[in-house]
Amino acid sequence: MQPATPPTTDTSAGRRHGAPLPRRRLLSGLLAVTVAAPLMFGAAACGDDGGAADPSDPVKLSIFWWGGDARAKLTEDALALYTAKHPNVTFETTWQANQGYFDKLATLTAGGNPPDLFQIDDNYLAEYAARSTTLDLTPYQKSAKLDTSKFPESLWQYGVVDGKLAGLAAGENTQGLVYNKTLLIKNNLPEPTTGMTWEQHIAWAEQVTAATRMPGTQDPSADYKALWVWLRQQGKDLYKGKELGFSAEDVAKWFELWKGARDRRATPSADVIHEGNSSDVTKQLVVTGKAATSWVWANQMPDLKKNTKDELGVIAYPGDPSAQWARASMYWSVFKGSKNRDVAVDVINFLNNDPEAVKLLGTDRGLPSNLDLRRLVSDGTTDPAMKQSIAVEAELTQKFGPSPQVPIKGHSKVKSELIKAAENAQYGRATPAQAAAQFVEACKSAIA
Amino acid sequence: MALTTAPDPTRRGPGSGRAHPARRGPGTIRHREGLAAYVFLSPWLIGLMGVTAIPMLLSLYLSFTNYDILTPFSEVEWVGLANYERMFTADPSYWHAVRVTLTFALIAVPLKLAAALGVALLLNRAWRGVGLFRGLFYLPSLLGGSVALAIVWVNMFNRDGAFNSLLSLVGIEGRPWVNDPDWALETLMVLAIWQFGAPMVIFLAGLKQVPTELYEAASVDGAGRFRQFRNVTLPMLSPVIFFNLVLETINGFQGFTAAFVLSNGTGGPVDSTLMYTLNLYITGFTELQMGYASAMAWVFLLAIAAITAIFFSTGRFWVHYSDGEDR
Repeated sequence: MQPATPPTTDTSAGRRHGAPLPRRRLLSGLLAVTVAAPLMFGAAACGDDGGAADPSDPVKLSIFWWGGDARAKLTEDALALYTAKHPNVTFETTWQANQGYFDKLATLTAGGNPPDLFQIDDNYLAEYAARSTTLDLTPYQKSAKLDTSKFPESLWQYGVVDGKLAGLAAGENTQGLVYNKTLLIKNNLPEPTTGMTWEQHIAWAEQVTAATRMPGTQDPSADYKALWVWLRQQGKDLYKGKELGFSAEDVAKWFELWKGARDRRATPSADVIHEGNSSDVTKQLVVTGKAATSWVWANQMPDLKKNTKDELGVIAYPGDPSAQWARASMYWSVFKGSKNRDVAVDVINFLNNDPEAVKLLGTDRGLPSNLDLRRLVSDGTTDPAMKQSIAVEAELTQKFGPSPQVPIKGHSKVKSELIKAAENAQYGRATPAQAAAQFVEACKSAIA
Repeated sequence: MALTTAPDPTRRGPGSGRAHPARRGPGTIRHREGLAAYVFLSPWLIGLMGVTAIPMLLSLYLSFTNYDILTPFSEVEWVGLANYERMFTADPSYWHAVRVTLTFALIAVPLKLAAALGVALLLNRAWRGVGLFRGLFYLPSLLGGSVALAIVWVNMFNRDGAFNSLLSLVGIEGRPWVNDPDWALETLMVLAIWQFGAPMVIFLAGLKQVPTELYEAASVDGAGRFRQFRNVTLPMLSPVIFFNLVLETINGFQGFTAAFVLSNGTGGPVDSTLMYTLNLYITGFTELQMGYASAMAWVFLLAIAAITAIFFSTGRFWVHYSDGEDR
């Protein structure tokens, strides 16, 4: 409560005019500070124009990735190795699970405080590159400061967005169909093989369901990578330039294919499929014991193994394997405004081309991109999961087709719309044709 | 009561003597006191400015732009009312989220309040161990927005969860509650209703305030239990009911954590748990449309303000204050 004062006297009139003034000034001062502070920090982060002048100046490089404990340990060891060779460079590492990673990266970037070096995948590479957040690595590549001469051509090219090298593949990877080997052997069932047609795969899954009471395959109709491979086998693609590479009829056929599979009980029921639609490795049906097969990335094998006691096998997706491609499992990108961009590029080069570092990192981020070092790693490894992962990729590499373009801006929305449409069909709330039409409509506004 | 606080022109307030102009200016006691006040206030002021007022104004500005969170502010493009237009005319998932949220609030909030009042009436008696029960019923709402609780809920209401095991004991075949688009939202409602502890405690406090003479008088007049409840308890409790109703409605509209955890942040299965705030979050952070998400946030704020205003304007017809004046 304010002390009551006589409203009519001169004293109060004077106060009324005088008192608010310093208060107002103070408030506007506070306002200015709170507004200006983030701007100043933001400006500081963008202001500098490149590498440190003196190569021996101390540099602290911030680096951010997603992944588990095992990846964190390997990465920190490799970075320690870099520091041992370049004592002036130290690292500020941050890592977390995949869930929420991109929310945090976007927030950091918006705050003008992104890490110098960060891990990114093809869901977001185009989004970040289109907004000029990533440093164009082409000049470094040309001056051989970033050595890609031992990389498969299609692999480094998969990081090119609008003519700029927006990120460098941290490893090679491809689509993998993972199945429960133990279950099949126990029931005397044949293992699936690369090159089976889609129809053969579904018939095989039907047989597994009948013999084991465990549904033979996860219904992948909500899975964009399965749809993508299937589209490429039909001579289509997920994207063509800035447009969709397919029509509603194509998607309707795809949904129809899996409706048939569900009707034949080759797949689990809609609610179980929904659980498996999560991107979380621990919820994949092949490890939760709710289906004999899951549609994943081949480099997820070691992670999947940790979540089940059964032995797992991995092959290509059904159909012609040349629809699959050497995909960058993930990329390293440098923030365009980084003060230490030259050092950051050198670290990427080190993580990909230094024999010791590559040997340390193994296949955790996919097969090493450097083909010479890939051989070195595969010869030197004793870990059975890593061995298997390398063997499968090596076998498939022979059959790979050319890489498609990197997914365009709006891809993450396309992915979530596919899940929604496919689930609409799976729960029987829409016919395949209706769900497909709805999906294509939603995609068009997502990538517009 | 009103008389004592009425302005009295003949009386001088306690601080009025100090207000003389000659004593003002730097170095005076008044000035130093003022400065001290600002110093003590500054953490709060900086907090208010830095984390509330400025971000809010900024988000209002951004709601008229195509801000996508990665582009620097300086390059943000002004798009006028385009975001609002899109929301109201061209975005089916927006209206879907509005429907989901309204359904949730309209069903869960009244049931939660009914549960809270019912249990509060039971726990208002003086029987042995009542304190323990009050604590136990309050516990779930202490865990309110907790992620852990939502995870427990998901596991309980899975196809092979504890709830279905219970049902199977009595020969009923359960459903995959949380993974069934027809039931996922209902499962969330049950979770919200179960957390009735906070309004229950407030109801309990309100019930303690009802004068026992009124019940005695009512029973002398021959009123039975139900009549006493209807004609004494409810009117006496109406300010507390009003308070809880407003608070829980706002809470209900803002439901986020449970829906986020249950659906892995997607609002699924098939958008059945796509609450307004979850849709807003996905739009802003996953789809990187922060300008559009800001517009959603402002419409949300206005909608909640409007609903609260409606409550207040209808309140005077049924809320009775015990000082005898109906306001």
